[in-house]
Amino acid sequence: MTLAVKAKSVVKQFGNIRALDELSFLIKHGEIYGLIGPNGAGKTTTLRIICTLLLPTSGSIRVFGLDPVTQAKEVRKIISYLPEEAGAYPNLSGKEYLEFMAKFNTKNQNELRKSITEAAKISGLNERLRDKAKTYSKGMKRRLLVARALMTRPRLAVLDEPASGLDVLHAYHVREIIKTYVKEHDVTVLLSSHNMLEVDYLCDRVALLDKGKIVVEGKPDELKQTYKSENLEEVFAKVVGYA
Amino acid sequence: MLEGFATIIVKELKELIRDPKILVGMIVLPLIIFPVLGLVLGYAVESAQEQAQRATLLVVNNDGGNWSQTFIDYVNRTMNVAVISDKNPKQVVSQNLLSDYNSTQFVEIPVGFSQNMTQHTSGNPTITALVNVYGVFQGGGILSNIGSTGFISAVNSFNRAVAPDVVYTTQSTVIKGEIQQGVAPTTLSGLLISQSIALPTTLMIMLTYAMQIAATSVAMEKEEKTLETLLTMPVDRFAILMGKLSSTIIVAGVASIAVLFGYNYMLGSITLGIPTAGSVDLVALGLVPSALGYALLGISLFITLLSALALAVIMSAFSENVRGAQALVGYLYPLIYVPALALIYLDINTLPLALKAILFAIPYSQPIIASKSVVLGDYTTVIIGIIYVAAFTLVIMYVASRLFATEKILTAKLRFKRRKSKKA
Repeated sequence: MTLAVKAKSVVKQFGNIRALDELSFLIKHGEIYGLIGPNGAGKTTTLRIICTLLLPTSGSIRVFGLDPVTQAKEVRKIISYLPEEAGAYPNLSGKEYLEFMAKFNTKNQNELRKSITEAAKISGLNERLRDKAKTYSKGMKRRLLVARALMTRPRLAVLDEPASGLDVLHAYHVREIIKTYVKEHDVTVLLSSHNMLEVDYLCDRVALLDKGKIVVEGKPDELKQTYKSENLEEVFAKVVGYA
Repeated sequence: MLEGFATIIVKELKELIRDPKILVGMIVLPLIIFPVLGLVLGYAVESAQEQAQRATLLVVNNDGGNWSQTFIDYVNRTMNVAVISDKNPKQVVSQNLLSDYNSTQFVEIPVGFSQNMTQHTSGNPTITALVNVYGVFQGGGILSNIGSTGFISAVNSFNRAVAPDVVYTTQSTVIKGEIQQGVAPTTLSGLLISQSIALPTTLMIMLTYAMQIAATSVAMEKEEKTLETLLTMPVDRFAILMGKLSSTIIVAGVASIAVLFGYNYMLGSITLGIPTAGSVDLVALGLVPSALGYALLGISLFITLLSALALAVIMSAFSENVRGAQALVGYLYPLIYVPALALIYLDINTLPLALKAILFAIPYSQPIIASKSVVLGDYTTVIIGIIYVAAFTLVIMYVASRLFATEKILTAKLRFKRRKSKKA
């Protein structure tokens, strides 16, 4: 079994605050893995460490066998990160933005064109890709960014709250993209979300995070069964002692 | 009273007062800049006056008569006078007698002075006596001639004591070792006042504007939430920094050229704008920079801009948005305004060593110092300044590259957030 991510006893300290506390988990190649938990649980910190933005205070992380600390450049070549509140450059058109980003991954003109075509298909923005990003609605911008994250077919896509703040239709579109595109193209996904419905629908396995630690991990259906709950929200409440 | 007016005004005042940009720009900066400037100017004027009092006036007495001795004795009451004889003005300059006597001006009492004085005081008022005053041009600012007016005051006083308008003066200037007959140092300084004001003022505007642009380029990435994505792309962090700096460098380069063109045109206008009769031609006097001078001035301008831009990028890395970045960059403005305003009034060469060192150490003084030095052909000072700013810029660039290479580019924001939440 190939491991996409292997985290072992990862600690991240911000001054006196321990954001991650001996965090360990494994993500298998090709699966959609969800990190869920309340605000401040350490979800975004975990994603940022995997994506080479932050350094762990201690512990180790491997992304397809690569160390994000010592092999950051190599890791960046195989991952794609979608931050929770990411934006696009307001004065670039959607197409220009996609081209700008794709050029970091390939210099080959054919591959570049292929990536842009792929992104246009994923985003569904069609003619609107010619317009400047500042004219986009929040939902359109998010679709553009999801397309950007997936267009280069990364080995690992790290998506922080991919459908956050979107209306029902845009959220549905984004989830469908992730579900279908990822399976079709053999992309591993690590996502974080507050939306239990989303996680339940998308993820093969989930980890419930609280105070920088994984409190429980497993397949959504198994977790619901084990904790005799109707949904993951209830599972989480039971695990952390709110219910 | 309008309904709700008081509520609105209280809210507006709270917002304005709590905005760091307003606080820094409109309240803190004037409170710092003007007192500091006042101290600098006060100290400089005081020391210039002391220096003028201590300075020696070299008198070349080619007359040797009784009246010339009386005149020298009179001047000696208010100034330190050193007397030599039998030298023409060219010899005084060529034999470096001024530096031997630690003086920046000399007076020649020509042959016939005493005879003319005697005739005037014996009832022939049409005959007057002449003394020739020679001042050394030192470049400088508005207050740089503060010491050169002492002798003219002494002559006026002598006339009042002996007979009205008996002694007349001609004034000439020694520029780069050449005597320019009939060009009064004060006239020259008057002409060069515009030069003393224009470049520092332009530089203040240009640096402020360029720093705002540079700060905005990083802050925009943070505000629009694009930086995080960019930092996870397979691209060297140093390339990101250099890409951002290069675009502002191009703007800075164009700005430097624009300033030089404008500056050159301004100097040309001064020459051309004065009527031919009795005019002072700065080009003919060699008081317009040479091609090498312009090149060095351009380099000095460019490298200073580069250093300011790099510093602005670093400052903006610690802010969360454009507004915050502009406020942070505002803290650097005293370093631009104080030396620029000070050097409008002062000549760095005449300042006490400590003040000179402080002004020289501020990188943003360098183009202004350079603009004065290139006029005098003092290229060494300009080159030392360029090397100094280049070294300073390298350090700043290194710090900026380290900042971009580590997580600090993101965590600086996190720290600010945490502080706020603790307070809350």
